[in-house]
Amino acid sequence: MKLPTDFNKILAFAARSALVNRRNVFAVFEMLFWPAIGIFSVGLLTRFLNLDAETVTFILIGAVSMNTIQIAQLDLSYALLYSVWAKSLKHEFMAPVRLTHILVGAGAVGLIRGMLVFAVMAFFSMWLFNMDLSRPGLGGLLIFLIGMFLNAAVIGALVLALVLRFGQRAEVAAWAFSYLMLLLCGLYYPVSVLPPWIGELAQIIPLTYFLEYFRHFYGFPLNYPHPLLYGFSLSVVYLCVCYALVHYTLKSALQRGTLLRLSE
Amino acid sequence: MQTAIIAQGISKSFKTGFFQPRKQVLHDVDLEVASGAIFGILGPNGAGKTTFISILATLLRPDAGQARVLGLDAVKDAGLLRERVNLAASGAHFLWCLTVEENLKFYGRLYGLGGKALRAKVEELLDLFELRPHRRVTFERLSTGLKQRLALAKALINTPELLFLDEPTTGLDPEMAGHLREEILRLNRETGLTILLTTHNLREAELLCGEVAFLKEGHLLARGTMADLQERLGLGDHLSIFFQDGVPALDYARLPGVLVHKIENNRVDLKVDRAEERLAPILAAVSRTPGQVVQVQLKEVDLTEIYHEITH
Repeated sequence: MKLPTDFNKILAFAARSALVNRRNVFAVFEMLFWPAIGIFSVGLLTRFLNLDAETVTFILIGAVSMNTIQIAQLDLSYALLYSVWAKSLKHEFMAPVRLTHILVGAGAVGLIRGMLVFAVMAFFSMWLFNMDLSRPGLGGLLIFLIGMFLNAAVIGALVLALVLRFGQRAEVAAWAFSYLMLLLCGLYYPVSVLPPWIGELAQIIPLTYFLEYFRHFYGFPLNYPHPLLYGFSLSVVYLCVCYALVHYTLKSALQRGTLLRLSE
Repeated sequence: MQTAIIAQGISKSFKTGFFQPRKQVLHDVDLEVASGAIFGILGPNGAGKTTFISILATLLRPDAGQARVLGLDAVKDAGLLRERVNLAASGAHFLWCLTVEENLKFYGRLYGLGGKALRAKVEELLDLFELRPHRRVTFERLSTGLKQRLALAKALINTPELLFLDEPTTGLDPEMAGHLREEILRLNRETGLTILLTTHNLREAELLCGEVAFLKEGHLLARGTMADLQERLGLGDHLSIFFQDGVPALDYARLPGVLVHKIENNRVDLKVDRAEERLAPILAAVSRTPGQVVQVQLKEVDLTEIYHEITH
């Protein structure tokens, strides 16, 4: 591995993602408008229900997480979708790049955008709706953020695999996966209120554990023991599986001619 | 002679749908291309040209056979090979919202370039393809000709040793296509770059390629230089001699190099193996007859005839 060369390849995808975001008016909507709508509607609901500070934080941290993960996974998911839309996929894979370059490059921009969204949403939630982020301390908050970004990376990598297999049709998956995951992991409610069979599904989602971990600082009981162990273990396993899946779909795309078909 | 490409027994088929038989696109294709050559692969649409070039360019894996490009296996050594080759295709497609300069920088970085080296390469290509005035124009706002120039510039970003050009002038106006052909010739002449191009434009192949191969329905039907193919297929140049008062008596079939002859009113049509060589002795023989020559027309055999002969 030649470091400067690899750095330039990673930078290629990061710079492209950043440029597209800067030029795309919808990126502003993605980053600010929709998250703001989400936070305001949920925040106003908590005010209407006259909830205590802990419950408000419980709910609002769910809304902040949803928006952060949505944005953070988009850059990764779009890393190949941009090429599919531009019909330039074959030129990207004609170059000596590896999946790691794509994942790290586009993922870095997703991370930055996700951090920005988190900061903005957390600021509004604290300012307008009295959300309290101080209780877990900096360490707890950082662990929670890492957990969220790992989840975003899993979704992004999964969508990359789907893009390589199904092309533009996978676009909808970029949104659908995260919404489905967020529904199951107890975003606005404890997982104990889910029907038992959905509760079983919630246990295979790493975000469930990170939300549990964060919320226990506010006095909410843990439904699962060792949430961080489970959360990180599942995240690492899923990341490895998704990486292998992207690798396999790329190999399959070279066999099936998908790269050429998606470039026509 | 060094060989840039050695393809042996390349076959490729694609699935056409559930419960449908696979469509065989390439059948056992063998090909060798010398280093420093411009080699043309000709064939009608659907002949398998793009599939073949894509296999050599590491974008597609063959079902059978082996392709060695620049001494590397196109499947096993794909990563290494990609450092040394590049591709430009018809209907240039790049990210719409990036400028000419940003697109070149993006691809430059994909090949590991950075810093001063990247900036210098981008500047060089902007000059070479006269893209400097358009450097800050986004791809979606470029004309077709400029897009194609950008495609060629991108294909040279890593200073490749072998360039694949997949129908590079398709969709361009004649003037722009002419410019691009001149550029291709210049690159080959000045840098010794090996170029493998696919085209169904016979004139283009004739102008650019030292050697050509014909693909039809996935089969390689023939390959060689124009002279080779002409000789192999028994094709000749056309020589028409017009006389003042009828065609004089002469055993035209016995004239040097004459393959076929036909007399019509005041004209005799001869098909000769090499007109350049045979013209003088034929005219000398005709001048010894009482017939008065008023006009001589010469048309060299072209790829259209070779193509027609091979594909029908």
